[in-house]
Amino acid sequence: MRLDHLWLTDFRNYTMAELAPDPDGLTVIRGTNGQGKTNLLEAVSYLATLESFRGAPREALVRRGSERAVVRAEASRDGRSLLLEAELPLNGRDRYLLNRQPLRRGRDLLGALRVSIFAPEDLHLVQAGPAGRRDLLDGALVALHPRNDALRSDLERVLRQRGALLRQCDGRLDTDAESTLDVWDSKLDELGSRWADLREEVTGSLGPLVSDYFAELTSAPAHLSLTYRRSWEGRLADALLASRREDVRRGVTTIGPHRDELDIQLAEMPARTHASQGEQRGVALALRLGVHSLVGTVVGSAPVLLLDDVFSELDPARSAALIRLLPPGQSLLTTAGPLPDGPVPALVVSVGAGEVRAA
Amino acid sequence: MSIYAGPVQDLIDELGRLPGVGPKSAQRIAFYLLKASKEDALRLSRSIVEVKDRISFCRRCFNVAEGETCSMCSDGRRDPSIVCVVEEPRDIVAVEKTGEYSGLYHVLQGAISPIEGIGPEQLRIRELLARIETESVTEVILCTNPNLEGEATAMYLARMLTPLGVKVTRIASGLPVGGDLEYADELTLGRALEGRRQVDV
Ligand SMILES: [Zn+2]
Repeated sequence: MRLDHLWLTDFRNYTMAELAPDPDGLTVIRGTNGQGKTNLLEAVSYLATLESFRGAPREALVRRGSERAVVRAEASRDGRSLLLEAELPLNGRDRYLLNRQPLRRGRDLLGALRVSIFAPEDLHLVQAGPAGRRDLLDGALVALHPRNDALRSDLERVLRQRGALLRQCDGRLDTDAESTLDVWDSKLDELGSRWADLREEVTGSLGPLVSDYFAELTSAPAHLSLTYRRSWEGRLADALLASRREDVRRGVTTIGPHRDELDIQLAEMPARTHASQGEQRGVALALRLGVHSLVGTVVGSAPVLLLDDVFSELDPARSAALIRLLPPGQSLLTTAGPLPDGPVPALVVSVGAGEVRAA
Repeated sequence: MSIYAGPVQDLIDELGRLPGVGPKSAQRIAFYLLKASKEDALRLSRSIVEVKDRISFCRRCFNVAEGETCSMCSDGRRDPSIVCVVEEPRDIVAVEKTGEYSGLYHVLQGAISPIEGIGPEQLRIRELLARIETESVTEVILCTNPNLEGEATAMYLARMLTPLGVKVTRIASGLPVGGDLEYADELTLGRALEGRRQVDV
């Protein structure tokens, strides 16, 4: 997996910009804050995941005053060259092309380019609510098998449909609504059970990897374990039936994969509440490294590493450990300050006033 | 947000009620029409009026019809013992292209989708059940789209129809998942029809 060339048109603060990162070493993107370093990584990852890793809305991605943004990249995989293009109109749906062929669905682009993103906000993975941890598992599942994206989006849609129906019930369930609810429950059972099984399976594969990385990142390592916890017991179909009255009363689906949790325990205590901030940063890094390594192993080529300002928040010891642990391969790193000792950039570019220049 | 003069705003509002047209597109189309020649605009308005005057839905199957019954229902050579249930009239075109089907149709005029406020009562389901009870139908083929809403609608129909003693079948999987029937090529859809299976409920 390699990114050969990136072109942006009217994306974020860039009118026109291009970047040709080093093919297999470290490319450092320098610049003071607010100049658009992260925007470059965001554009690369957009082609890999079809969304902004910062959760940015469309208006933020299209340069002000422009009707559409275009992100284009040349990538190669197993010696084959691929041209990926995404057009993001201010209004309406994205258009995607692969090797100049328009794709009917965005998800047909998934898998053409894979990335692993490390960002300072990763700390939320450990500190914030379960949504981010579920997203981590879901992202890993799609990176491992792009086909999983169809399952994920069907599941999200079932949940939206069921939620809409529950709200329309307005606390009461007549026979008509009941027979429609039966249908959505049966779909939710089918897709939700499968998705939870997949998440549980990938948690099982990640556990030992993440635990090893964490041990290497910390000087006095405590045992780290990952457990996937479902929000129901037994068969999902039965659990949905049992919670139906409650769901109708509250107008929401109270159990299902959207309520599940990835438990992270450090020395048998929840990392979210019982770990120090330093430990939590270590856990977050270990989670990202674990996914990166798992995807690289299963897919057979390492994802492109995108490191957004990662060293600014780490103490020197952890920075050094992270540098040591990063698997070899193409990486793009943004930084406002100097780099810690260790990595030798193969290419340095600088970003300022909406331009990318060789430094 | 009414910032334009009366008739312009009315046009934007009307256009905005069309499926798939957001407020910004409505504005763009309205200004396009303002700039368009009078003949072009009249031709558009005439074809809207004409379609409403001359075309209606078949009383039996809810396909588009230029009278009380559609061309399918009034064709005596078609087999009235099989009914193929589709979401939209355009799906009939897709099934006809396969050349694999010679029974009748029933157009639901949509699929169950609570997000869009569409429940079974908004679709032509009651009329379908009535047909099964009064016509001598032996098989109902559920030919809704192979996406989530189409599958859910098929499941709902199977549960309603099976107790009536009619054989209920669903087109085989193998169609591009998540898509619409109209995107499937004739060969694939023909094979899916041929490979239809009885639905377990
Ligand atoms: Zn008819």
